[in-house]
Amino acid sequence: MRGTDLFERRAVISGIGQSAIGRRLGRSGLQLTIDAVLAAVEDAGLTLDDIDGLAMFPGGGAANLPGYANGNLYEVQDALRITTTWRQGLVEGMALPFYGPAQAVATGQARHVVIWRTVKEGSASRAAGGRPAYGSTKPVAEGPLAWLLPVGMLSPVCQVAPYAARYMHEYGVTREQLAWIPVTQRAHAARNPDAVYRSPLTVEEYLESRMISTPMCLYDCDVPVDGATAIVVSAAETAPDLRSPVRIEAMAGVVEGRPSWEQWEDMGRVGHGAARAMWARTDLRPGDVDVAQLYDGFTIEVVWWLEAMGFCEVGEAGAFVEGGKRIALGGDLPLNTWGGQLSGGRLHAAFGHTAEAVRQLRGETGDGQVAGAQVAAVTNVGGFEAGAALLTRW
Amino acid sequence: MDATVGIPPAVTEETEAFWAAAKEGRLVVEGCSSCGAESFPPRGICRSCRARTPVPVEITGRGRVYSLTVNHQRWLPDLPVPYAVVLVEFPGHPGVRVAGRLRGCPPERAAIGMAVDIGFEPGPGGFAIPSFVAVSPADGAAA
Repeated sequence: MRGTDLFERRAVISGIGQSAIGRRLGRSGLQLTIDAVLAAVEDAGLTLDDIDGLAMFPGGGAANLPGYANGNLYEVQDALRITTTWRQGLVEGMALPFYGPAQAVATGQARHVVIWRTVKEGSASRAAGGRPAYGSTKPVAEGPLAWLLPVGMLSPVCQVAPYAARYMHEYGVTREQLAWIPVTQRAHAARNPDAVYRSPLTVEEYLESRMISTPMCLYDCDVPVDGATAIVVSAAETAPDLRSPVRIEAMAGVVEGRPSWEQWEDMGRVGHGAARAMWARTDLRPGDVDVAQLYDGFTIEVVWWLEAMGFCEVGEAGAFVEGGKRIALGGDLPLNTWGGQLSGGRLHAAFGHTAEAVRQLRGETGDGQVAGAQVAAVTNVGGFEAGAALLTRW
Repeated sequence: MDATVGIPPAVTEETEAFWAAAKEGRLVVEGCSSCGAESFPPRGICRSCRARTPVPVEITGRGRVYSLTVNHQRWLPDLPVPYAVVLVEFPGHPGVRVAGRLRGCPPERAAIGMAVDIGFEPGPGGFAIPSFVAVSPADGAAA
């Protein structure tokens, strides 16, 4: 499978753009989306007239949380007067933000696709007087949620917490060790003017913070925000027209277990199928990765990906992150250099992670730059929706 | 602890038997009339041999906690907290893992590997929801 005939090698990430990001911005989802799309298209060195594909995550119909789904595709297309040859609204099977768009441009269905993710969960949390229950936008719990919400697993926090409990039980990893993930990412956020939480965080503050759903405390959970991220994916043959494209070296989205939060068979190991399939598509190895943007809706998700991607052995993520040196700027594997969702804001679904990977490979991150970054890893969620990719400098 | 504050399940063709049995305090999963394998949650098809003739099968044995969480956050107004939610598996019943509340011990005593008895309690919307009962350590060791 290795080599230039991989479909993802016929696609590049050409542009990234973000709206303002904040706890409560007081702007509509449509305006945030337009801000991000315009910025991304300009960043690519293109104009709106070049765009012939549009995609969003999630599709308009999926909103289990207040503020979750914004930037309706039809409204964005209408507002920007874009003629499309390819469109997609996504939930299941997204794998990674650029996965579907790369398929589209690699097969000639479009040349330049914009995909966006717009959240207003910051405003929604404020309006609800706290982070609202998953599923609270609907009167009854449907589908997979029917087994979770009625028994009190009312948030993704409660749904993911048993993974953390099981992992820590099986491998003897402690909260004192895992604290170094949010603590180190907070230090990275201090260098990112767009991050929502930038003041220093200590291990002691982490350990003393209030428990949300054991073993996960406040700082193990990402921060609901308002904000939009747009990504332009272009056919590789258009590279001469592009300002600063980034290559997709390899990517994969494999779900090898039961696609369900509570039924996943081995809660100590998540993401391994996607990571294994991704590594089979490249000659690069984990040691070649200069910077890692690993999905961090919760601290434990970083643990999954550190191990699944082979940055450390299974059960050794605690020792790997302890002290923070390895995952800090200047370390072996600088991690979530924008602060991640834990401090940068829950831009969700690896959109923020992808944007940061592109900035790093272009050398555009200022204070947070990993010098000479050539290879960036990007991963998304894990379990019932999982994606892993390597992006490389042009 | 009151478990009635929450979001009730949508009942479907596949899940009707589960929720009806729950009201009677019985844990019912799908048993395959062809190969005998058990499936949960119910999908109307055997997850082992894919025969589409499942029959309700009651599980009566003691379960073991695979993992758990103690929720402290008030996700809904008036939600009583903290409470433990456990994921329970049953020896001899591969393919069955059920999420439910935990009763019979303080939430902080909940632990992976602990023995629980099957139980239900009043949940949201008039439904009876899975609510496992902690077995005292002495009893659990004897089980």
